[in-house]
Amino acid sequence: MELRYAFYTGCSAKGVAPELYDSTFLVAEKLGMELIELEAATCCGAGAVQEKDEFLAHTINARNLALAEELGLDLLTICNTCTVMLRDTKFKLDNDPELKAAVNEVLAEAGLEYKGTSEVTHFLWEVIDGVGLDKLKEMVVRPLKDFNIASFYGCHIIRPPYLIGYEDPDNPKSLEMLIEALGGKPVDHEARLACCGFHSFWSAEDKVTLKLTAMDTEAAKEENADFMVTPCPLCHTQLDAMQPEAEEKIGTSIDMPVLHLPQMIGLAIGLKPKELGLHKHVIPTTEIIKRVA
Amino acid sequence: MEFFTLRVFRYDPTKDTEPYHQDYKLPVEKGMTVLAALFKAKEELDPTISFRYNCRAAICGSCAMRINGHATLACKEQITHLLEKYETDTITVDPIGNVKPLKDLIYDMDWLVDKLKKVKPWFIPKAPPPPDGKEYRQSPEDHAKIDYASDCILCASCMSDCNALKANEDFLGPMVHSKAYRFAADTRDGAKKERLDAVLEDLNLEWCVRCWECTTRCPKEVQPYENIIRLRIMADQEGYKTPGAIHAEIFEEDIKERGLLNEMLLPLKQEGLFGMIKRAPFGIRMFFKGKVNIADFFGGHKIKRLEEVQTIYEKAKEKEKEVTIKIPQILGVVYEDKRKSKLLKEQRENAQKEGGNQ
Repeated sequence: MELRYAFYTGCSAKGVAPELYDSTFLVAEKLGMELIELEAATCCGAGAVQEKDEFLAHTINARNLALAEELGLDLLTICNTCTVMLRDTKFKLDNDPELKAAVNEVLAEAGLEYKGTSEVTHFLWEVIDGVGLDKLKEMVVRPLKDFNIASFYGCHIIRPPYLIGYEDPDNPKSLEMLIEALGGKPVDHEARLACCGFHSFWSAEDKVTLKLTAMDTEAAKEENADFMVTPCPLCHTQLDAMQPEAEEKIGTSIDMPVLHLPQMIGLAIGLKPKELGLHKHVIPTTEIIKRVA
Repeated sequence: MEFFTLRVFRYDPTKDTEPYHQDYKLPVEKGMTVLAALFKAKEELDPTISFRYNCRAAICGSCAMRINGHATLACKEQITHLLEKYETDTITVDPIGNVKPLKDLIYDMDWLVDKLKKVKPWFIPKAPPPPDGKEYRQSPEDHAKIDYASDCILCASCMSDCNALKANEDFLGPMVHSKAYRFAADTRDGAKKERLDAVLEDLNLEWCVRCWECTTRCPKEVQPYENIIRLRIMADQEGYKTPGAIHAEIFEEDIKERGLLNEMLLPLKQEGLFGMIKRAPFGIRMFFKGKVNIADFFGGHKIKRLEEVQTIYEKAKEKEKEVTIKIPQILGVVYEDKRKSKLLKEQRENAQKEGGNQ
């Protein structure tokens, strides 16, 4: 099977998470995935535009999807929220011919058309279904057997089922399967399927967001996780970069490193911590780096 | 599997200092629901188990509880399905989350009622009834906006698993916001402004973290999360300048001006100079970790073919006035990855061929 994708970076990988952008390309190349970056793609609206102007949000995302269709490829994301927002547009347009026609009338002004021929998929799912866990296992040169790894799915890769549907949102297994394939030990914890709080940051930083961030990272710590891993850069920013604020909020140190999904894969298949950008995290990953050396 | 374990949350405040779980071994029977299993345990093994129930047909909303960690109606879930779904021989039942247990699976409902009262969950007519003596009427199109939201049975499954409510008990919660939407969006209701004021007190509506748990849990077609979003859109249209509305404006502007969000300038645009100063320690920390792109402070990167986006913006703003986005049916819908279904179809066809050859 040919593993070529129209690669949708999202804003974070181009902004506060450059280590995600770099590690995704490095790991994809090693795994035999070809990523063709959609350099003309816009932000997905992240739920913000959707709360002001739903039609505009669908129009810009229909354009994003049309860019992948131009290449004749499926669109691959590395962010949970991008996945759910692009899927939201795809779901509504594919099920509502009138809306699709109205959106296409707008897109025609720019010489574009949304057809609905490209699927929206996430890096995590393509590693499992495209590359395959058996092939991945063969590529592991440095099994993560010394590590207790706490998976943190992030909401928008499991919910809602009508837009995601990859696995049972009540009992997902993809991240654990992946951790095991890399030789690591998945640890079960209270916050595995919880929310990081990111999306209410500007309205409820103290009232909600940082409390959730603290609960999540503490839950992983309680189960003696060496680090958390997440397929979403928004969860990563919240759990890693905002962890000092969360610690301040609850008045105790948590100190829980959080890895991006491709970084974890990269470590196991022999890429160097430095090239994967492990030094770019707010919560130091020095202990992890020492142990993979 | 012949037997399974029903693990029940037990708590009697008159004698227990702490809640505990008690196990009951029951035979696996085809078609048996969790509620039926609770009855069987109560009738045959332990008459002291307490739980609420009524209709046994997913209509009344009384028997909501957490089953293996997720809120749902006990009368709706079958034991055989759950054993398979969780690959286990144990079904754990707890009271719904975010509440105070009173006895076993029965919880204190007053907190729900108090929250609901804040949004006045009743019809406040806009005008006197029509003079012809008939009832208040509305068009099918207007009714469609509130049709699903009206289906709420107040089971509180959504409240149970709400992440914002878990973090802060003062959040009104998806059930309450959804109820507020049901009336605020009703063309016959005259208290839209009052309702928006109520849900936006202390920005409560914007505490929602967009985790989509509520919609995932809802046993009906209420779509609580989507109703929260619809309320936010309504508030924006009514001119409420909330942080959420400002946030959306920033996104719209950035997409139009550069394509991607400018994360470096976001704090300044969101909270002004004061915000920028408040976020300085965070910014400095990010800078030293190599996460700050200085060029972005001066506009930075622009996407290719930006002119397309700008054309689309103009046209979309015109076009949207004549477009009504239909509320899709989502209950029980599982997104279908077209590629997978194609693959499955091929596999099925191959299997059929092989079967035919034998």
